Amino acid sequence: MSSRAWWVLMFLMGPLVGVTFISAARTYAEASGLGGTAGGVGEAFSPLVGIWAPTFSACEIAAAFLLPFVAIRLVSGDRQSGALKLEIQHPMSAFARIAAKALVLLAGWFIALSAPAMAVALWRSYGGSLYWPELATVLAGHVLNAGLTIALAAAAASLVEHPSTAAILTLAVTVGTWIISFIAAVHGGFWERAVDYTPTAMVAQFQHGLVRLDVVLIAATLIVAGLMLGGIWMRLGVPLRRRVAESMVLGALMVAVILPCRLTHQSWDTSENRMNSFSREDERALRQIRKPLGIEAHLAPEDPRRVDLEHRVFSKLRRTLPKVQIHYISATSIGLFEQTNPHYGEIWYKLDGRSLMSRATTAEAVLATIYELAGLKVPEESAEEIFRGHPLAVPPRGAAMVFYLVWPGFIAVLAFISHWRKV
Amino acid sequence: MTKSYGRVTAIHDVGFTIRAAEILGIIGPNGAGKTTLLECIAGVQAADSGEVTFGTSQSSRCERSAILFYVPDGIAPWPNQSVGWAVDFMLGFFGGRRELYAEVARDLNLDPLLRRTVGALSKGQRKRVLLAAALLAPQPVILIDEPFEGLDLRQSRELEGTLRRHASAGRTLVLSIHQIADAARICDRFVLLSSGNLVAEGTLEELSRAAGNRMGHAPAQDFEEIFLALT
Repeated sequence: MSSRAWWVLMFLMGPLVGVTFISAARTYAEASGLGGTAGGVGEAFSPLVGIWAPTFSACEIAAAFLLPFVAIRLVSGDRQSGALKLEIQHPMSAFARIAAKALVLLAGWFIALSAPAMAVALWRSYGGSLYWPELATVLAGHVLNAGLTIALAAAAASLVEHPSTAAILTLAVTVGTWIISFIAAVHGGFWERAVDYTPTAMVAQFQHGLVRLDVVLIAATLIVAGLMLGGIWMRLGVPLRRRVAESMVLGALMVAVILPCRLTHQSWDTSENRMNSFSREDERALRQIRKPLGIEAHLAPEDPRRVDLEHRVFSKLRRTLPKVQIHYISATSIGLFEQTNPHYGEIWYKLDGRSLMSRATTAEAVLATIYELAGLKVPEESAEEIFRGHPLAVPPRGAAMVFYLVWPGFIAVLAFISHWRKV
Repeated sequence: MTKSYGRVTAIHDVGFTIRAAEILGIIGPNGAGKTTLLECIAGVQAADSGEVTFGTSQSSRCERSAILFYVPDGIAPWPNQSVGWAVDFMLGFFGGRRELYAEVARDLNLDPLLRRTVGALSKGQRKRVLLAAALLAPQPVILIDEPFEGLDLRQSRELEGTLRRHASAGRTLVLSIHQIADAARICDRFVLLSSGNLVAEGTLEELSRAAGNRMGHAPAQDFEEIFLALT
């Protein structure tokens, strides 16, 4: 674990977290100072979206561009140096060996997470509010993301001979997931559902305090599959044909596990401001609807109204009503040239043979339409439940010194001591 | 054992016997298939066909791991770690013979290298570390690829003595050697390989007779001549 790649990761984690934390804390402070009291602006003053999502996004960058090299160095390095030829003579199974390497890498990642942990400590010292469940969720998302990166890099490093090829392969997969996100934004449909399981989308969900069981299960399956693929290809003494056959069986098993995982709808909203959920009164009212609710939205994938509707309303509706069927209908991807179609923009709600049409895309309007269709009374909003936010008009004092000076200096000294002790 | 790389046959139907506590030399010119043969025997790479048997029973992977230990040539395992760490790791990971450590370290003059990183060692120094790993391994049969590669004359002679002592203590050593003179001095028996084929197996006397028969005159005495006659 004391490879140069890991020390580089450690060295850069401080400044990376520093840039994001200082920028987020400064913006948060400015908004808090300008806004005075938090009443009415609610979500804007949630540390989850204001501080932790941007601060921990540094971990996402590190996981995409630095961690793969540490993992490849650990797995591929043994192959390059010839150590693998010695190691594989031990009766320990290749799977146990690669799992051990993955655990070491995960431990290394946890140590690297001490940089954002320092941001948490600094935030606390400024008097900032902490809501541990949402912070733990953000952390869990980044650990899961690191697990995916490690599994992918381990598989790539085992599959190909050279570390540089493994690095290219790993980055190609990462870029591939970004391309899927782009295609999903343009074409919608299957891609829109598939994109939920890409590392970027997964981390975004966790950063918003949302834990989806299907996403966690699929990520865990991909991690196990990646490590097992690495284990299969690390067994140099096994004939190539057998390794190919085992890889194909593993692929089939992975698909067989992932497909039913997609059917699970359990999810948890750990955010303090319940940003992924309707109010408790609305949830209670919606759960009274027993029949399946159908929604048909005539909006193109790139139409901002559709994006807004999906993120602010339908995602919450799916969590509350797992049986809701939402279909998007559009002839183009941007919708600009469909505006002349009189039906473009219509959102049809169908329940128990009855249907209603609305063009509104706000949560309140959508819920009102659903209540009307279901013959339910619009519930009263509880004043106690309104999230008042946690404004903090304090600049990030000392953070620059900690992340740009103390952290790199400390890591450089540790790296030097580690090297000096070895020689 | 048979092993091909694409259309190139590295070893073709090579079979031989290893006897307990002997030093067996796998002899052949560069490209004869010595390394491939040792790696296939050790299970480090997959043979297309063939098997390793202990006595009369076919070996499982676990049995092979328990009986054979192979040390490749030209590797620098864990290059960022110190020699001390690497040797200690090998001892711990494979459950090596710690009781032999002092003797092996003295024989191979390891002490001056212990604090240096493996990657910073010269070819000969690295070879000494790998030989130490081999001799400290718990397995009774040790396969070493080119044990004299990178060593100077004095070190080669000292190593011969060391290997002989270990063989006398019951260790079986299988050495792949391309330097005929070195092989002739240390090995009890020989397996001659040429272009991936087994051309002869036996003691120096047996090979000498075989060479004589092939050439149609009195048996050759010089191992180099025997080798040339048979390959």
